[in-house]
Order: sequence, then structure tokens, then C-alpha cells
Amino acid sequence: MKSISVGVRRGELAAKLADLKYTLYLLRKNPLVVAGSLMALFFIILSLVADQIINPDLAHTFDYTRSYKWNNPLINWGPGVAIYHGPETLPLGTDGYGRDLFKMIMLAIPLDMYIALIITVGSATFGILLGAIAGYVGGKFDEVVLRITDIFFAFPGLVLALVFAAMFGRTITNLMIAVLLVWWPPYVRLMRGQVLSEKEKAYVEALRALGAGPFRILFRHILPNSIYPILVQMTLDYGGVILTFSALMFLGFSPSPALPELGNLASDGYFHIFEAPWLLFFPGLTIVIIALAFNLVGDGLRDVLDPRLRR
Amino acid sequence: MKLYEYIIRRLILMVFVLFGVSAIVFYLCRGFPTGFAPWAAYIHPKMTAQQIAEVIKVHGFDQPLHIQYFYWLQDIFRGEWGFTGTWAQNLPANRVFFDRFPYTVELSVAATILTIAIGLPLGVISALRSNKLPDHISRIIALTGYSTPSYWFGFILQLVFFYYFSLWGLPHLPSSGAVTSRLIGTIPKVTGLAILDGLLASNIEYAWDAFLHLILPSFTLAFISLGFLARIVRASMLEVLRQDYITMARSKGLKERIVIYRHALKNALIPAVTMTGIFFAGLLGGAMISEYVFARPGVGQAAVLAVFQGDSNFLLVYSLVLATIIVITNLIVDIVYVFLDPRIKY
Repeated sequence: MKSISVGVRRGELAAKLADLKYTLYLLRKNPLVVAGSLMALFFIILSLVADQIINPDLAHTFDYTRSYKWNNPLINWGPGVAIYHGPETLPLGTDGYGRDLFKMIMLAIPLDMYIALIITVGSATFGILLGAIAGYVGGKFDEVVLRITDIFFAFPGLVLALVFAAMFGRTITNLMIAVLLVWWPPYVRLMRGQVLSEKEKAYVEALRALGAGPFRILFRHILPNSIYPILVQMTLDYGGVILTFSALMFLGFSPSPALPELGNLASDGYFHIFEAPWLLFFPGLTIVIIALAFNLVGDGLRDVLDPRLRR
Repeated sequence: MKLYEYIIRRLILMVFVLFGVSAIVFYLCRGFPTGFAPWAAYIHPKMTAQQIAEVIKVHGFDQPLHIQYFYWLQDIFRGEWGFTGTWAQNLPANRVFFDRFPYTVELSVAATILTIAIGLPLGVISALRSNKLPDHISRIIALTGYSTPSYWFGFILQLVFFYYFSLWGLPHLPSSGAVTSRLIGTIPKVTGLAILDGLLASNIEYAWDAFLHLILPSFTLAFISLGFLARIVRASMLEVLRQDYITMARSKGLKERIVIYRHALKNALIPAVTMTGIFFAGLLGGAMISEYVFARPGVGQAAVLAVFQGDSNFLLVYSLVLATIIVITNLIVDIVYVFLDPRIKY
């Protein structure tokens, strides 16, 4: 008995490996996915080593004599821009506290990436749990969960996150919860749909006949079988989460105005847009590149894994 | 289930959703101490302490939070939406909302038009030249669109088209407001939509000015959604192009143009048409940041200002009206879908 089941497992594994190989081949064929993955990888490595390259204490070293200064001759921002004549080269100018903007962005990238990772994983976990149970149990509980997600889907734009952030004070944790509130509902629907379609399949029937409990069926069998769409959704959401979080920071919910966070750095620039345009430009551009990298990967993955588009 | 049963069921669910939305906003705004006192507008400096206590008692502001909610509901059904904070001169919240709402509608309509005008061709090109250079370019544009923070994009547009264009002596676009301040109040307000009012008053200068003020904010707003539309159109177009009737049409010897425009596009556009409704509703709510950045006097900008004062009265009107629009749009979209695609039944 045991050997047979192992044999089946092995055949399944080989099929899965072949499938994975084919997926990787399709992904490699798309230059944009390759570019996106390389960019994403670069940002991940950067955020792991950033505080070794750049001293984090620089974020608290203020020098008001050189605030809003520029001395990179490659870009001319026009008149009205103050030039820094000191010894240091500042590739991206300085911010209001006289800190080197390039170094601040380098310190901000890990923070943003880390926060977005926690929010994405958090909202996915929450949504998956709720959606899986709702889809499996069905009935009243399912109805209640669906109605609750309806409520969250009906909130216009950012208003829920803004209200939550405004009421619960300005700590990073509260802001993360505010963003999470906006991003969890799609996972409930996604996971619920997956469970509903998998639930009827023969292997679940067989598992039930063998006496497997609902949690074992859900999280050992159904979840691994429906993990790809969820991973794609997470990759695609990752960029959006960074945008939402930095938008809250930009609108002024930052716990400290000197915090090196991309939205917060840009927020300093918005009051000085004509005298120091770089202060808005570069942090925002960094957000665009990070989000684009993950969206490219997610979009390519979705195309490749979508059975309707896959050849 | 018959169609009208389905509609009734959805409308009943909508009531439930509106209760939920209002309860969440109510609890968040009233449950925490902010600078905003919802009863402040009822109180006149000449009133005695006893009279003030009376006012607070009548509107239930001294009750526990969950009971306050029912007082608030009662007021709503009487048509009393409460008063806004000092940011809107303590005017009635519903009046502030509906005075500002046309500006947001105008912006969302413009953004929806831009979304379709750019997103649709992008998606079609992407599908027809799938995995070739045009597809890659269109994919980059689409994905950059929704990877871009709208506050940042708005300011960059302002910087370039207002500041740098005027520095270089080029004709530049206005950066803030809905019309130039010198023109405000020169024409009667009929619909509240600035361009339409200008045309109705046959004041071309006003309408043109309002149009110029609309360009940058609507592009900022559309830049996010056009990417989504392009991706949806691409996916559905690819799916349709792979179906047998297309192969059939090709093998009949029809020209590729006719196959694509007469046979494929019609079916591929069904999801796109329905998505447009959802985009419009989403853009009404998403206009928040674009309006805030361009200081456009719409409801989104007002909502951001209201959030900073914890103004529960305005936020409740805002989220309830927009949630109603979102839910009803979704319903209409689902119904239209049945008519467009006879395969779907409820």
C-alpha cells in the first residue's frame, strides 16, 4: 500500500517539475519578466545590505546650513535652486534637514519593502484563512463573510485607510493596519472561489473518505493546489501596497517628519516643489521603479499561469 | 432566479452594505477624541450652559456610541445630515457635498474618457502583437500607470506643464483649482459642471478655462486605470482570438482587418464595457488624491480635509453617497453583462 502511494507521489512530483520547468521557460521568453525579476532581486538584495553600506545614524544627523541644496552638474533644475558649495558631492541633493537625499532613499528602500512585505503577507494570510473557511463551511458563515467583504469593497478609494490612520494615531503599526484594511478583501474572494472549485474534486472526496479532517484537507491539500493564483495576486498587490502606504505618509500621517520613508521624503518636497523639485522627484521615482518591478513579475506570472492564455 | 428577483436581492444587500459602511465610519470618527465636535454647529456663543446641554441631549451626543449611531440614523431619515467642521465654514454636510460633487463627477468623466481612449487601443495592440515589441511597450505603459503614486505624478505634471513650461516661455497649463479665480462667479451655476455651465451661458472663455483646468488632474487620475483596462482588453482579446469561430472566419478567407474588427473585437470588448462602469465608480472615490494635489474643489479634496479634522458628518455623507454609487454601478454592470453576453444567466 505504502509503496503504491509513494509511486503515485513520485509521478505527480515529476509532472509538477516538468510543469514548473515549462513555466520557467515561458517566463524566460518574456524579456520584461526577466527585467522585472532582476530589478526586484536588486531591490531585495539592496534592502538586505543597505544598513551595512549606509550608516543609519545619518537619518538623525541634521545640518540645517545645507538644507534644500543641489550640486550635481548633470541636471539643471532652473533658476531658484540653491547650490551647495561644500566639499561633499550630493548626487541627488539634500532634503530639508540637510541630509544627503541619495543616502536617505537608500535607507528608505528597506523600510518600505519590509513594511509592504508584512502588509501583503498579513492581508493575504487573513484573507486566505477567512476565504478558505467560508468556502469550505459554506452556509450562514459563508454568507456573513461575503457580506462583510461587500462592505469593505464599497468603501470609496482611500477613505477607510485615511480615517483609520487619522483616528488611531501615527505609529507605523497603525498605518500598516490601515493599509491592510484596504487590501485583504480580494484574497477572501480569491481563496473562497478556489476552495469552492477544488472542494468538488475527486481527491477531496477521497481524502474525506480516508477520514482527513477539514483543516488537513484545506491547508495541506487545497491550499497547495491553489497557491499560484494567490502568489500572483500577492506579487501584483505588493506594488500597490507600497503606493498606498507611501500615500498615507505623503498626506502627513508619518510618525516623525524626519523618518526616512519614501512617501515621507516626498512629502517634505511637496512644500518646496519649485525650489527643490528633486526632493519630490527622486523618492517618487524610486517608488515607481520598485512597484513596476514587482508588477512586471506579477503580470508575467499571471499570463503564464492563466490556463486561458497558456499554450 | 428571475432578473427582477436578482435585482431586488441585490438592492436589499445594498442596504446592509450601507449600514456597514456607515457604522464603520461612524465608529471610527466618533469613537476617538478629535478636534471635531459634531454638536459645535448647533451652539451659538450666546447660549447658556443649560441650553447647550439641551442641544446635546436632543441629538443624543451624551449617549454611548452605539446609541448615538441610532440617533444619527434618525437624523438622517429626517434629512438632517449634520454640520461640517470649520474647514467648510460649518455649513450643512450634505450641502457641502452636493455643491462640490459636480467637480468630482466632471473629473471622473474626463478620466473615464481618457482611460477608454488610451487604454482600449493599448490593449488591442497588445493582443494583436502579443509578445512582440508593441506588446512590450504597451505593457510597460500599462504597468507604469498603476505603479505610479498619483500624488507624485500629479506634482510632476504640475512641475513640468505649469512651472517649467512657463519658465521656458511656452503656453502652460493651470496647476490648481477648477477655474481661474478671476472667472469664479461670472456665470450662473446651473449644473455645477464647470465646462457645461460655461457652454450653457455661451461663455466660451469660461468653458475653455475649465477645460484647461481639467487636463492635468484627469490625466493623473486616468493614468492609473488605463493600465488596468489595457490588461483586461488584452486578456479577453487573446482569449477570443483563440476561439474556433475566429479560425473559421480566417479560413473562410476574410481579411484580417474584418476578422479582428467585426468578429473578434465585439466579443472581446464585453468585459471592457462592463469594467468601464466599475472604473467610473472607482474613479469617483479615487479622485481624492488627484483633487487634493490639484486643489480642485471636489468632494475628494473635501474628504481629505475632513479626515484631518475628524469631521464625521462630512465623511459619513461622502462614504455613504459614494458607496451607494459603487454598489449600484456594480449592479448595473452585472445586469448589462447579461444583455451583452447571452451565455450568462442569473
